[in-house]
Amino acid sequence: MYGAYSFWVLVLMLNSLLPEGRYNDDFDDGEDLADFDDNDFAEFEDMTDDSAAEAETAPPPRASPSLQPDEDEDEDEATVELEDGQDGFEDPDTQDQDIYSKYDQEEFEGIGDMEKTGQSMKDPLIIHTVPAHLQNSWESYYMEILMVTGLLAYIMNYIIGKNKNSRLAQAWFNSHRELLESNFALVGDDGTSKEAVSTGKLNQENEHIYNLWCSGRVCCEGMLIQLKFLKRQDLLNVLARMMRPACDQVQVKVTLNDEDMDTFVFAVGTKKAMARLQKEMQDLSEFCGDKPKSGAKYGLPESLAILSEMGEVTDGVMDNKMVHYITNHADKIESIHFSDQFSGPKVMQEEGQPLKLPETKKTLLFTFNVPGMGNTSPKDMDALLPLMNMVIYSIDKVKKLRLNREGKQKADKNRARVEENFLKQTHAQRQEAAQTRREEKKRAEKERIMNEEDPERQRRLEEAAQRREQKKIEKKQMKMKQIKVKAM
Amino acid sequence: MLSNNMADPRRQNKILRYKPPSTETNPTLEDPTPDYMNLLGMIFSMCGLMLKLKWCAWIAVYCSFISFANSRSSEDTKQMMSSFMLSISAVVMSYLQNPQPMSPPW
Repeated sequence: MYGAYSFWVLVLMLNSLLPEGRYNDDFDDGEDLADFDDNDFAEFEDMTDDSAAEAETAPPPRASPSLQPDEDEDEDEATVELEDGQDGFEDPDTQDQDIYSKYDQEEFEGIGDMEKTGQSMKDPLIIHTVPAHLQNSWESYYMEILMVTGLLAYIMNYIIGKNKNSRLAQAWFNSHRELLESNFALVGDDGTSKEAVSTGKLNQENEHIYNLWCSGRVCCEGMLIQLKFLKRQDLLNVLARMMRPACDQVQVKVTLNDEDMDTFVFAVGTKKAMARLQKEMQDLSEFCGDKPKSGAKYGLPESLAILSEMGEVTDGVMDNKMVHYITNHADKIESIHFSDQFSGPKVMQEEGQPLKLPETKKTLLFTFNVPGMGNTSPKDMDALLPLMNMVIYSIDKVKKLRLNREGKQKADKNRARVEENFLKQTHAQRQEAAQTRREEKKRAEKERIMNEEDPERQRRLEEAAQRREQKKIEKKQMKMKQIKVKAM
Repeated sequence: MLSNNMADPRRQNKILRYKPPSTETNPTLEDPTPDYMNLLGMIFSMCGLMLKLKWCAWIAVYCSFISFANSRSSEDTKQMMSSFMLSISAVVMSYLQNPQPMSPPW
């Protein structure tokens, strides 16, 4: 597609090259003027306009000798003051002519001075500036220079931003490497190599997003860590962040096997984050319908809120150690989300509701804010290490956390309820889908009968189909009768 | 006997390979900036070439730079390069045909 584009661009460029470039025509008139007039002064006629500037600045020194009409001497300037009553001479300064005609018969000494002053009083010197495009100086291209400077600034910022993000990522990895390597058999994988060997490196997805996949541990399938830095490499983003400060984020997503987690949905985080997640996330909106509760009830700071499926879950998750972790690092925690029904954010589909429930996976999601609010230095990455310890602790804890009988019953009821709701909502659509499938089957059947070569077999198949239809109709009638009887 | 918290939690047999998350299931998670900027850059450079507007061509150069800065590493570099070349050619053609400097709009 883009090959075709470039082809057309080339064709168009060639077309536009063919006509001549437009040049300034301002000075071309001079060539033709010699033909206009046979007058002696024809060559100088149109120069009055252009060199009027020169002529008018030069009159004082030439005022006295110019009084005598002497065309031969003053070839360079179209001396307006000289000729008096010459044919075809375009004289814009008729005023001057009158003055000189007055002085023609009089004495000439001392008149130069008078003329000078007279001129300066009566004719203000209009010094036209040469238009910008006729100047051959670099200054006239200041817009272009500005543009190029802007581009250079963008490139500089790109290089600096890219390096900063890369240094931050490396600093994070260096401080967390030991913890991760002692907990996971595979640290760092890009999915392309044949053997499952730790690459020991972050995957760079972007200039501002780095991934790390860790796997090979008890109690979990794997852990995906995403370092979502600010777009420091994009100048526009840097400028936008000056208006609206934001911070780097570290997102940890732990996926669990079925036996690693009991059935519950729980989230804790900043009030704003909780409000947003409750609206956006499929599982939180379905299972945690109540408004987020303040964390103060469980010993957490006021700024944090809790969304939970049931009170027992909150009590189970918020043990002393967890509360301790969260309270100490409350400023760095954006959200913590444990769920056995995690399917990501709500998907908006154009054709109404999806026909199937979305796939769910048992997941623990942690979102941490890097301290520094954008102005982070590599040293700040060490502050995130205790949070990673909390993640590891949570993995082990969730494995051990089991609901009691009552809790389990409630949880199962909740899940059944959600599924029922979903089925009800899509009932109409599923019916339609079933109807279309039945019609398809019938049509396929009829076609098969039609295509059957042997007339004998054809007849038999037709009869079989008819019998089946008959049976169906009878069944329906029976059902209707039964319903009627029951209603009575 | 080692207690549980001293035991090595690593399990070589439980290793799962990394699977890049498919973007079809989560179209909202993708950043559309590089694609928009690419398209915008092409439109502006075509405008600049056709209508011989210098400022269009300059904006096209900026758009292609922004698109490059925001692009994913998995993206095709050919597309980036082609949009970049197109915008540079738009600027060059505008100046070859009309060497006058750009006049500010004010």
